Amino acid sequence: MHRQGGLFAGERGFALLMVSPGLLVLALTTTFPLAYLIWSSFQNINLAMPFLDGFAGLDNYRDMLSDGRFWHALQLTGIYTVSSVFLQLVIGLGLALLVMQIPTGQWLFRIVAILPIVLAPVVVGLFWRTLMLAPEFGIVDFIIRTLGFESVNWLGSPTPALVSVILIHTWQWTPFAFLVLLASLASLPLDVFEAARIDKANAFQRFIHITLPLIRPAIIIVVIMRSMIALSAFAAIFAATGGGPGTASEILNLYAYKTSFVELNFGYGSALAVSLLIITLGVSGILFHLRTARRS
Amino acid sequence: MKNRDSTKYLRNATLFALASILLFIWVFPLVWAVVVSLKSEAEVLAYPPRIIFEATAQNFKDALFGGVSILPSLITSLIVSTATTILTILIAVPAAYAFARLELRGKKWLGFYTLATQMVPPVGLVIPYFLILNKVGWLDSYQGMITVYLTFSLPFAIWLLVSYMEDIPREMEEAAFLDKANRFQALWHVILPQVRGGIAVTIIFVFLNAWNEFLFAVQLGGNTVRPVTVAMYNFVSVEQTLWAKLSAAALIAMVPMIIIGITAQKQIVKGLTVGAVKGGGRQ
Repeated sequence: MHRQGGLFAGERGFALLMVSPGLLVLALTTTFPLAYLIWSSFQNINLAMPFLDGFAGLDNYRDMLSDGRFWHALQLTGIYTVSSVFLQLVIGLGLALLVMQIPTGQWLFRIVAILPIVLAPVVVGLFWRTLMLAPEFGIVDFIIRTLGFESVNWLGSPTPALVSVILIHTWQWTPFAFLVLLASLASLPLDVFEAARIDKANAFQRFIHITLPLIRPAIIIVVIMRSMIALSAFAAIFAATGGGPGTASEILNLYAYKTSFVELNFGYGSALAVSLLIITLGVSGILFHLRTARRS
Repeated sequence: MKNRDSTKYLRNATLFALASILLFIWVFPLVWAVVVSLKSEAEVLAYPPRIIFEATAQNFKDALFGGVSILPSLITSLIVSTATTILTILIAVPAAYAFARLELRGKKWLGFYTLATQMVPPVGLVIPYFLILNKVGWLDSYQGMITVYLTFSLPFAIWLLVSYMEDIPREMEEAAFLDKANRFQALWHVILPQVRGGIAVTIIFVFLNAWNEFLFAVQLGGNTVRPVTVAMYNFVSVEQTLWAKLSAAALIAMVPMIIIGITAQKQIVKGLTVGAVKGGGRQ
């Protein structure tokens, strides 16, 4: 096609030279530890009882199948991911549609929406645990009591704790969905809407038949990206409830973490992490498949 | 007609009110943190919470220069985040260039591999890294922490940079080749100036993610390498009720991120949406 510079014989050679440091680093920093994780999931590695260490075969996985806490964590992972992604999408899309109608001042929404996104999740978890949700002194409790309701121990009782960690995650990441969808809406061609208006389609029909199909790629991207993050959410839950009370907000991610670093059972912790890895790759595979299959 | 105007006005007012409520919910925790950080610890525990009080800067002084100063942690975070960012950019730019613009055998699979590494749940890495770094003696070390941070920064940076590099018209490179430039010169003189904006966005994202990271920091760090996110967590668990000092420390740690966020707001949104708005992004 074009002549090659003397320094690099061919395009392929040059491409290989450019790409190999990156791939090498990825292989060493990601693939090797993952292989190690899979290996350790077939071992007994317990820093509290090192004399039992050794090859375990499928024992860890067999234990997992009969471990009620694992199934509970798996269920919570599903609830946490589906409900928080759903809420982010619905609120984010609703707000984006609202803001599109506002003639001036959109910049204010864009600026405010950036704030939760740039905060460290651990800070978000800590703020909600103390300033917002703490019984007695938290502002949410204050509002609830002012309105005449009973004080709720948001993070200290099981169901409110799960609801709280879902809402905290939703609070932090809805702005992401909002900003992506707002940008997508802003890039739509106006003439399509004009044509529909001439056809006397009402606002709801316009939304269902025109807007929604046009922004579907953006919606699917939001769902994919947010699902991946929700599946391995850690810092905010860890800071707010630590997975508790008991195991009430312990998603699989936290269970794998605690098994390894609190109970020091790294073998079983590895097996739990492998199961989360498989679930994450499976979910992303399905979502990516949906994206390509539906596009025509 | 007049009636229609007033319903339209009412509708707009409702929309604006609704949107403002959501706006308020997002901004409130931060505003409240600022308020609390200016209170004395005794004032924090007053019920009902007071809006009017004597403001004090003591919490900020304590957080920076007091007994549990976060200053060393801020420096640690700065070192780790900066080193991670520099390394990531150095490795990711050439890789992204190859993926976006060069012929490469198995490119599709290599691209898929890069994307897949980005999806690995961090807990699946922190466990083997703890065991490996423990054996190598790299726990609580800068080189260990920076290596681990490459696991999430590198795939992300490559992926983001590819989107920017794909947008450059072929003709620009062709022109450079006609001028007898070699591949490397074309990258250096033609491509890089064009993707300066994309590189800036990538730097912002990588730095932000490294600064805010917690799981690796808390488990693979220690007394030598204690990033600021861990310092804050320790703060609240040790000093249960010192909310005012926690708020002050958290605000100090987050102010750089908030400044970056607000000043680079446009670029960040562009980075978030680079795949989404183009109509699906990467195949």
